[in-house]
Amino acid sequence: MSLETTETLNTKPEGHEKNLKLLATVDELQQKGWQLTKWVDGHDILLYKYEGDVKAISNVCRHFGGPVGYHKARGGKFTCLWHNWEYSCKDSTCLTHPGLPLRQYELKIQNNEIYINLEG
Amino acid sequence: MKTYTMKLECEGEMDCPKEVVMWNYYDHEHLVGTHFTYYKKARVLAERDDWALVYRSGNMPIFGIPISGMGLQFMEGNVMKTFHKDSIGFLLEQETHFFDLPNDRSKVKVIYKINVPKFMKLFEPLFQKMFQSWFKNVWAEDAPMRLRRWKVYKLGFKDFKGIDYINKKLPKPEKINYPTYEFTPPIPVFSDIKQPEGMERPFASSVQLGYND
Repeated sequence: MSLETTETLNTKPEGHEKNLKLLATVDELQQKGWQLTKWVDGHDILLYKYEGDVKAISNVCRHFGGPVGYHKARGGKFTCLWHNWEYSCKDSTCLTHPGLPLRQYELKIQNNEIYINLEG
Repeated sequence: MKTYTMKLECEGEMDCPKEVVMWNYYDHEHLVGTHFTYYKKARVLAERDDWALVYRSGNMPIFGIPISGMGLQFMEGNVMKTFHKDSIGFLLEQETHFFDLPNDRSKVKVIYKINVPKFMKLFEPLFQKMFQSWFKNVWAEDAPMRLRRWKVYKLGFKDFKGIDYINKKLPKPEKINYPTYEFTPPIPVFSDIKQPEGMERPFASSVQLGYND
């Protein structure tokens, strides 16, 4: 989701968006160098900005469960700490094993707050 | 020539079953992943069931002492024995004892031994300092790996698949049943670690954001 097109409503997501969970603020993400990871309700999330878009993907490597976002991304890819499996920052495809992409999460950004849909 | 055995014992406890720790010790690929600051290259020369012959090169965390050589590791019950011949010529004998503790916890005791000419006995404090430091540093890197491995396992993680409710965008089950964690070597590999070129670390340094577990 592009930061330039974020909504500025003064209400929190509700109704059909009840699955949305507050993940972080844009300021927090910026302070962490535009990449952070967080556990939310059994989901380990890797939140980052890539080419102007804020994205959220699973931080759980499909190989053995390692932390994909342990290292700061370089060259447009994440390298899992444990066994160096690589994933594309652009679309979370696995560059080491193309059949095993990381799950992407829907995001909503309102009033500087980043919400994530754990079922979307 | 009379010899003397320099010896050091180190212990640590983990909040996970001992089988997870064993998995960690038999996972050769993580040497140049998790321990990328120490190990530059690893190659599995041969591996069958619960034994492996592994070549490793890198630097120890103290004084950056270069290390390279081959190590044979195998299991005898709940003890992993390792014979590591380094490039200097010493033979390091390592015994790693695994113990169950209540509530899915475990204890590990590692015994390092080197036989040296008797006149080298005075270097034992240095040997102990080096290997105490080695144990402490490597343990600090392995501990979060073991804990995370156990954590995702309890969430239903399957090797080369992942966690079902995450990948299939399903609600997280209220209760997740998981079988007893089993250690079944050899660990499957997906890299060139068994090829002549071996497996090299991807970079020597990085901006490390760390674990969040």
